[in-house]
Amino acid sequence: MADRKLDLKRLMFSMASLADLGEEATSSKDLSSKMRAALYVITGMFSVPSAALFLYHPQRHYLELLVDKGQRDKALQGITMPILSEQIKRLRPNDPQTARDLAGHAFYQRNRGLWTKLQIEMFLPLFVKGEFVGAVALGRKLGGAPFRAAEKDVLRIVAHQMAITLHNARLFLDLAEKAAENKKLYTRMQRIYHDTVEAFAAAIDAKDEYTKEHSYRVASYAVAIARELGWKKQDIEGIYIAGLLHDIGKIIVDVKVIKKTETLSAPEICEIRKHPQISYDILSKIKFPWKDIGKFVLHHHERLDGTGYPNCLKEAELSDGVKILALVDAFDAMTSNRPYRDKLPLEKAFQEVMRCKGTQFDSKITNTFFRILHKELNGEIKEPQILPHLQETDMRNIKALASGLAM
Amino acid sequence: MSNFSLSSRSARDVAVLMPKGYINDMGAVSLERTSEQMLGKGMNSLIVNFSNVQYINTIGVSIFTGMVQKTLEHRSVLCFTNMKKAHRDVFEMMGLIKHVMVFADEDDALAFLKRKG
Ligand SMILES: [Fe+2]
Repeated sequence: MADRKLDLKRLMFSMASLADLGEEATSSKDLSSKMRAALYVITGMFSVPSAALFLYHPQRHYLELLVDKGQRDKALQGITMPILSEQIKRLRPNDPQTARDLAGHAFYQRNRGLWTKLQIEMFLPLFVKGEFVGAVALGRKLGGAPFRAAEKDVLRIVAHQMAITLHNARLFLDLAEKAAENKKLYTRMQRIYHDTVEAFAAAIDAKDEYTKEHSYRVASYAVAIARELGWKKQDIEGIYIAGLLHDIGKIIVDVKVIKKTETLSAPEICEIRKHPQISYDILSKIKFPWKDIGKFVLHHHERLDGTGYPNCLKEAELSDGVKILALVDAFDAMTSNRPYRDKLPLEKAFQEVMRCKGTQFDSKITNTFFRILHKELNGEIKEPQILPHLQETDMRNIKALASGLAM
Repeated sequence: MSNFSLSSRSARDVAVLMPKGYINDMGAVSLERTSEQMLGKGMNSLIVNFSNVQYINTIGVSIFTGMVQKTLEHRSVLCFTNMKKAHRDVFEMMGLIKHVMVFADEDDALAFLKRKG
């Protein structure tokens, strides 16, 4: 009678423990913490001082020790037990097995050393829908009594629950691994994009020795302004690419027109003014990971007062990106030699930008541009983006100028 | 958030552990770790005072199973004092009680250990 009462109490305790196990298995903890807690629940259910939990890696054909408890050796985590597919087939799914049950198995014989070290009394192979996911290894019970039949029944239920938990955890691990791989792939793809775009930019600039590296400078200045305006990383990259490619349409314009030193005829002006549209036509066919590249290049010759081309857009219709490109493109044109004129001295270029502020160039963008210059001159910016491109002998003069213009 | 805290003191070769709250999650593992450290430092006897322990679940049993195992390995004495009936029932059912010495309170345990020398 007393025995039966005790059995009933044990059964109740097991039920409560299974509920605890369920709670641990579905908790929001990370995999190791979750599994360690689950291992504590299981060892508590059977008064087992030592145990370990293994995760199966199908590609590597081994069981890896994920967590352990009560082992003398404190450096067991990550230790492995090789197991082959045909050896897995010989295991009884979710059924407790002793060393004696497995004595004839190649798996046991191969891993006998670790088996002894961990003092495994009961081995519980975990399966979900026929798929092997891992194993729980329990040591001897405190006092050394054997596992009773009723306890083995409870172990079978435990095995099912642990198998599902481990299975889900592994799905999650696989996902995390895939995400990391995708990120690597994405970074590599972006690098290829950059390389390709830079090659294009070089091709554009090569068409005209006067505009050599114009695209690089435009891209570099544009990035400086976008960064100062607090743009997101992704959008800054976008304007960098747009800067590099804004004149790609010039590839189609007759090289004689580009290099002409005399005043252009009306048809020639017409020809050269087609380049933003051609740039847009080329780039809009490419699915860039950055937004608005096409729009930026299409409108980089528009002006606030609506006298620009190709669409005579007005201030309200122009985005910050377009306004940035319009300013830095014009500024770089002023400060480089062109077939039809020499470059302006920096002082004159600044004056020209200021003169056109509000009609051709946006005030906020212009002010930002001068503010950056001022900061770069004062050494407040770690990697200057504008200053290194400006060749000027009298820097003192420029410094005074820029500080006067910065707002 | 774990509802568990642990205080401990030791004099000569006796350590007294005072767990407080619920011994039902991994927050209580410090109990197992601390007792292992005490044994490592050469404590011959560990006393666990259960006055402020409210609830023990399977994880708790696992922690005490670990403690019992370690004291056996170190040939030390493990004493439980101030246990409520519910605690005692759990330890009895799980077969832990035969490996520990149970006393009504801490003084009884200390007196016994002193006599034992
Ligand atoms: Fe242009």
